[in-house]
Amino acid sequence: MGSSDKKKREKKKDFNKAKLKVGKAKAKAANFTDTSFKSKCWSSLISLLLIDTLANYIPAIVVNQHTLAALDGVDLVGLFKQHLNQAINSKSDKLRQEALVQLTKDLSSKPIFNPVGVPNLLTKLLPLITDSVANVRTNFLKLLRALPPSDVAPHVEKILMYIRGGMTHLSTDIRSDTLSVLEWLIEVCPDETVSCPGGWLKTLNSFSSMLGWNPSVASTLSVKGWTSATKTSLNKVSKKNGEAQAKQITILAKFLEAGFRPETPLPYDEQRYWDSIYRMPTIPNPFAYLNLWGAQRDEDGEMYPDRISRVQVFERKWRAAIKTGVMGAKQEGGVIGRAASVLDKVLRTSAAADGEGVRKMVVEEQETVEEVEEVEA
Amino acid sequence: MPKRKVAALEKVDADLVSLQYKIRRDPKSYAQEFYDQWLAYDAQRQIFISSPSSASSEDNKKFHDLVDLIAHCADLYPDVTAPYYDQLKELLTQHHAVLNPDLREKVVGSLSLLRRKDVIDSTSLLTTLFPILISTPSKSLRSLLYTKIISDLRESNSKATNHKLNRTIQTVLHNLVTSDRTSTKGMWACRITRELWRRQIWTDARPCDVMKEACLSDNEKVVVGGVRFFLGGDKEREEMEDDSSDEEIDVKKVKHQGTINKKTKKRQRVMEKAMEKIKKQERKKHAPHPLNFSALHLIHDPQGFAEQLFQKHLQNTKCKFSLDNKLLVLQLVTRLVGLHKLTIISLYPWFTKYLTPKQPSVTSFLASLAQATHNHVPPDAIEPLVIKIANEFVSEASAAEVASAGINSIREVALRQPLCMSETLLQDLVMYQKSKDKGVVMAAKGGDMGLKSGEVKRLKFGEEQVESGIEGIELLEKYKEEQRLKKLAEKGEDADGDAKMEDEDEDGFNSDEWEVASNDSDSSTGWINVEHSDDEDEGPPAAKKQRRDSSAAPDLISDEAMAAAAEANRISKLAMTTILTPADLAKLAELRREAQLDKMTGNVSKRRQELINKHIEDGVTADDIELPAQIGKKSTKEERVAMAKDGKPGREEHKSTQAIRKSKKEAEGKSSTNKEKARKKNFLMTVGKAKAKHKRSLVDTKKRLTAHIARSKSGGRRRNGMN
Repeated sequence: MGSSDKKKREKKKDFNKAKLKVGKAKAKAANFTDTSFKSKCWSSLISLLLIDTLANYIPAIVVNQHTLAALDGVDLVGLFKQHLNQAINSKSDKLRQEALVQLTKDLSSKPIFNPVGVPNLLTKLLPLITDSVANVRTNFLKLLRALPPSDVAPHVEKILMYIRGGMTHLSTDIRSDTLSVLEWLIEVCPDETVSCPGGWLKTLNSFSSMLGWNPSVASTLSVKGWTSATKTSLNKVSKKNGEAQAKQITILAKFLEAGFRPETPLPYDEQRYWDSIYRMPTIPNPFAYLNLWGAQRDEDGEMYPDRISRVQVFERKWRAAIKTGVMGAKQEGGVIGRAASVLDKVLRTSAAADGEGVRKMVVEEQETVEEVEEVEA
Repeated sequence: MPKRKVAALEKVDADLVSLQYKIRRDPKSYAQEFYDQWLAYDAQRQIFISSPSSASSEDNKKFHDLVDLIAHCADLYPDVTAPYYDQLKELLTQHHAVLNPDLREKVVGSLSLLRRKDVIDSTSLLTTLFPILISTPSKSLRSLLYTKIISDLRESNSKATNHKLNRTIQTVLHNLVTSDRTSTKGMWACRITRELWRRQIWTDARPCDVMKEACLSDNEKVVVGGVRFFLGGDKEREEMEDDSSDEEIDVKKVKHQGTINKKTKKRQRVMEKAMEKIKKQERKKHAPHPLNFSALHLIHDPQGFAEQLFQKHLQNTKCKFSLDNKLLVLQLVTRLVGLHKLTIISLYPWFTKYLTPKQPSVTSFLASLAQATHNHVPPDAIEPLVIKIANEFVSEASAAEVASAGINSIREVALRQPLCMSETLLQDLVMYQKSKDKGVVMAAKGGDMGLKSGEVKRLKFGEEQVESGIEGIELLEKYKEEQRLKKLAEKGEDADGDAKMEDEDEDGFNSDEWEVASNDSDSSTGWINVEHSDDEDEGPPAAKKQRRDSSAAPDLISDEAMAAAAEANRISKLAMTTILTPADLAKLAELRREAQLDKMTGNVSKRRQELINKHIEDGVTADDIELPAQIGKKSTKEERVAMAKDGKPGREEHKSTQAIRKSKKEAEGKSSTNKEKARKKNFLMTVGKAKAKHKRSLVDTKKRLTAHIARSKSGGRRRNGMN
């Protein structure tokens, strides 16, 4: 009964007369077709034909999906920006992740499609280093890898700030993912990483804090007696943590290697010599080491632009602490021990390259040997 | 991908709040964690500083949380967090304009938290916040900083006055006002000083000095702020004091509630708190009253200040203040002149221009003129003004309000400097007593009396009446005399002749005493002149007696003055010849109080009482001048309705008085009566009993009734086991 009623009503509906109302437009018919639009672009078929013909005449033109889409009338710049916004602001992690994937695709296309420029892109996306979702972080790293190294170099200082923030984050996962970012940065532009303001000592600070090799914390604790401070929850030694620590040590070794890498003197070039005196410099902020406009820097935040200064400050502030840390890590053995021995090697080579360091090294070696013997005894 | 299981500890550790809790509980074990967060804070700070204006919301939030964490734990790791204060200070001073509001608030809050944890001292906190308060364009930040500054000053002065800090801040405020006189920045100095003055945290001369400088500023707003402080700051302070003592706790009620209510820990705590408060109030009551001078008295060099104010803001034709503000300045100047008896001759001619009935708010000018008059003002300076007022305001043709205001103001001026009146003018004014308008009559009546007595005129210009002896000593003497007479009367008839003599003596003494007393009251203030004229009103019998005396014994008149002098001598002798015992002094105080009470309760009008209560320091206001004009006026219906409604419970809807009372009772949480309970009882509960009543047998009914009678005889209550 009910269904028949319904059917009746539905049937009736077709024959209902539409009521006309004053001041309102007439209802559109069901089969109405809107013909008022005006095409501003060529349709894809025409464009393809056109490009074919053009390509015949101008062989240099590169046809990829972007040019095609642009010719189709899709607002690519808008789309890119939308993805960018989504990657930062979207509440859903899936959306963020997908947006990052899209951006990566755009950046890795040939030629690179990046309407906002690398600086803007980085400023917007860098907070994602400490995103709470692991997938977003890995995708972000992929995006970073897609960036051309030459464009990244001027922004190393800024990236390092975020990396340092992530390295001391509460969550261990974020810490380890941040290390991957640092690893990438060392690969891409090693010199800038260790020589930018705060890049050397502050990053070392974060490393030591991560590994728990920090002498300054011990001094604040002022623990007396023979026991050391218990390692608290975040530095628990478990299998997973062990791997994490091994990774930390490995990347610290890479970092130090980058810092201690001997500089190869550039061959004399007369043109370059005169350019450096009379031409406008081509790199941004060429007198950064003078720190003319920035806030005053302390020792940690200072620039250490050359190898010698880096080595000196490392000897003074960190070698002892890292040395003891390495000793401890070596004794643990396993993955950590292996990583520690790599680090140890880096330390040795750095010292070997330095005359004074060698002598020191020998003395320390003897000491450590004695210590080991004592431990064994 | 399946969700990764998170270990419980890790999960909890992942938020800063719980980490903060742990750090605070066990700072030693969590030093490493704190150091990590310190590094994170440092990194985040650098991110922020590298681009303060374009920091993303994500970064802002992270930074906000880290700043919060560090601030709460800063006292636990002083070594690590040593640069924290400087960093916050730098952040706030350099970037307060671009900081995200939440973050900004957090930074300010963290700074004051550091202060509360004693990581930094008040001076450094205030010197950080103060420059921002002055320079920031954000209203919300300003109000935040203002409250923080005031609360910190209060806090650091709560246990003992922190003179060092106060001096520093006062110097800062002083410099702020004096450094740039044209800017509105001085407003903040005014606001802070006024607030602290109101709270009695600053009570010495230095804040007055700041306000003095504010009054001499070039900026209108700042000037008005300063002037208002002097005119109303002390009253505000008194009101604040009254307010704070208002919340009194009923001890009885609290104790009674303690016996009835269920005894819980919370109730006990509340009770203890209440008792503590009561004790505090008691202590406050018994504490010696703090000797707080009014701001007007604490001004250094009032003459110079008044002159400068007058020249800068009133006499100066280039000064473009609005009339209201000018009037405020004028009030302050004249008040200073009256209070400190200053001489600014050029002030009086300046008034001439404004003393016309057409001048807006002329009553304020008139009041100011009265305020500016005192017995050291040369009569020549005021006389033209009085004549002008008489000519412009007081005539049969002018409106009643105008005439009464004119007469009243002339009266007020003449009370203070009687020499400014000429005989003819006085006579003219006296004639207005016969006017038809009540206000004018009142003004005229008030005016002539003090002057008619003639006594006041006896003083020459520049002559001072010096008070001598002890106030009320004559009362004591009289009392002693009476006591002696009583004793003599008890002793017997022997001293009859003596007694008669004493009687005569006393008579003479009485009449003289009246004069002396009046002299006394004259000398103290101009105000009490009115009161004195009152005495004359009340005391026709004494005056008559005097007259009778003079008519009966004409030869005595010439000696009267001599007798008065002798009397004065005799009285002063009492104080000199005898040593007043504590009992005497107590009696003296009592007599004085009685005499005062007599004055108050005797046939004294409300207005007179007000005048008696009014302190000399309260200046003359426009209301005082306008008052007589109000007397004859009929009030409008609205006014009458408002008057009738005043003090009665609000009646939003139409409701009976009972209903209002009941709802009020309920709102107060009071219980209902048995009758009310019975009335409200559910009908179904009562219906059974009612039905049963119908079914009772006659015998039963009788039993009930007799029981009822018996019960009512024995107090009307049902006992256990009885009906």
